[in-house]
Amino acid sequence: MAIKLFGRKRKKACVVGLDGVPCTLLQSMMEKGVMPRTAAIVSRGTLRPMTVTLPEISSVSWSTFMTGKNPGEHGIFGFTDLKEGSYDLRFPSFRDLKTETIWDLVGKTGGRSVVINQPSTYPAREIPGVLISGFVSIDIDKAVYPKSYLAMLARNGYTIDVDTAKCRDNPQRLFSDLGALLEARKRVLDEIWGTEPWSFMEVVLTGTDRLHHFAWDAYEDESHPHHSDFFDYYRKVDAFIGHVFDKFQREDSAENFFLLSDHGFCGAKKEVYINTILQTHGYLTFDGAGPASLSAITGDSKAFALDPARVYIHQRGRYTKGRVEEKDVAGLKRELTQLFESVTDGSGQKIVRRVFDAAEVYTGPHAAEGPELLLIPHNGYDMKGKVGAPFVVGERRLQGMHTWDNAFFFALREDLVDPSKDLEIVEVPWMILRSIDVGP
Amino acid sequence: MKGFTLWFTGLPCSGKSTLARRVEEILLERGMNVEVLDGDEVREHLSKGLGYSKEDRDTNIRRIGYVAKLLSRNSVVAIGAAISPYKAIRNEVRNWHERFVEVYVKAPVDELKERDIKGMYKKALAGEIKHFTGVDDPYEPPENPEVIVETDKESVEESVNKIVRTLELMNYIPGAGAGSDYSEEEEEEIKARLKDLGYI
Repeated sequence: MAIKLFGRKRKKACVVGLDGVPCTLLQSMMEKGVMPRTAAIVSRGTLRPMTVTLPEISSVSWSTFMTGKNPGEHGIFGFTDLKEGSYDLRFPSFRDLKTETIWDLVGKTGGRSVVINQPSTYPAREIPGVLISGFVSIDIDKAVYPKSYLAMLARNGYTIDVDTAKCRDNPQRLFSDLGALLEARKRVLDEIWGTEPWSFMEVVLTGTDRLHHFAWDAYEDESHPHHSDFFDYYRKVDAFIGHVFDKFQREDSAENFFLLSDHGFCGAKKEVYINTILQTHGYLTFDGAGPASLSAITGDSKAFALDPARVYIHQRGRYTKGRVEEKDVAGLKRELTQLFESVTDGSGQKIVRRVFDAAEVYTGPHAAEGPELLLIPHNGYDMKGKVGAPFVVGERRLQGMHTWDNAFFFALREDLVDPSKDLEIVEVPWMILRSIDVGP
Repeated sequence: MKGFTLWFTGLPCSGKSTLARRVEEILLERGMNVEVLDGDEVREHLSKGLGYSKEDRDTNIRRIGYVAKLLSRNSVVAIGAAISPYKAIRNEVRNWHERFVEVYVKAPVDELKERDIKGMYKKALAGEIKHFTGVDDPYEPPENPEVIVETDKESVEESVNKIVRTLELMNYIPGAGAGSDYSEEEEEEIKARLKDLGYI
């Protein structure tokens, strides 16, 4: 039911996020008749490919979506970061987000948001509405605001994620659990939809990302024993999208219906270890024979990497053992850029497609807290910040890897999207908010 | 990090001291230097001998505000928790500061009379205490505080989270991750999940 405010009907927006779904895969599924409901919806609006954040991982990308800001403003640069004054890893949480969310902005106009399974919102905090956090929530009791919804979630058999440890090498378990999880999300969505007043509804499906990481081969290989299971899951996703759209249409014009992904995906061929590249070329050294972690870094080191493809200059004043002077940073970045652009996989194939200087992509008060260089690999080369790998290139551990481009955004309303410009994820939340008359 | 003043204002027994102490704990955990200037304590020392006339109240608040200013400009978070009933004096104290965050601790006076944790409302209503804010002395609520907490509707944790979140968004305090949101066991679980998906 639309919320009436002094007799004026409040506009509503409904967003379905499909974590890690490439634009080309979505198009292929629609063309093949696997996703007829989605195809019918998409035919009425505008589907655009989209580039996402750097690095192209969910914690950063969804943080950009939920704030409409780049990482230099929201302060989230990865699933990991370094503890201040240390080389130990820490795990940024929702509390590390340095700006307001779009749900806070909706709340300022008197609207309420319902957000289901949003990655990077753990632990959940108060928002004007309902928040059920997604990955990397580890305790559902801390993943829900308000807590009064915990009982409802339990009653509906809701879990945050599949058991990735058990599903990773067990395709039967993977497909079964993905299906069950999708059904539980649907039950929860249906129950909240009818009981909670909202003007912004968002539900994110993360099963697609798990499917791609663990079973991408099943998509590409028609002879794969789970090829049909892969497509069956997408049929279920299609049914889910259709179900949400139908609900929205029953009570509203549904003109403000949106779909998006937070990054693309492709098949992984090899893993590539950036820290080993740096070591091989003398930019990174460790104390002792076999470093267990970055803590063994020496003061002579000029650069190091964190997952997935973030390169940091080992600057004096920023890191306890860092000795690179500020005046030398620009020259070192140029050197490293040339290095990464030239490095090959041993068979002559270049690994890195593009090197971004952080200054090109990060602006804002927290830009200096992030990496100095960001690497985009050629498809198939899954870049890692692992420490101590003996070779630059290693066997892949997972079947699929993220891509920075080939994400997508769909809007039913064509006036919201400028077809003449390339689309970046940071623009998308503002388009959605504009559709319901919410400003910055 | 730079210091600032966090100023709690509200009717007697609205929860100012409780919230001030809980926020103090959190800021100490995050490595900040913190000092609470609690109204009741200040009246025992810094403002001993002052009464509850408007003039004396103004002097009391100016004293607390002055000490807060000295602390905050020396990288301390000064937390003031006094009724501070008059808008003009609160604004005067605000204008002394570069970084000042006002928290309005709001609760209906009828609710506070019910709570009456120290028994003061009862005495004031019986006429045993004169010039009691909320009974026979006025309270002027702030017009644009940085934070409003409603202690008749929120739990202590919810109010504290609201305050801390505002300070994080203003970049006055580091995020919880600078230390950690997570216990060692939780960190291990997060690490394991990130490894399963190849993120580390």
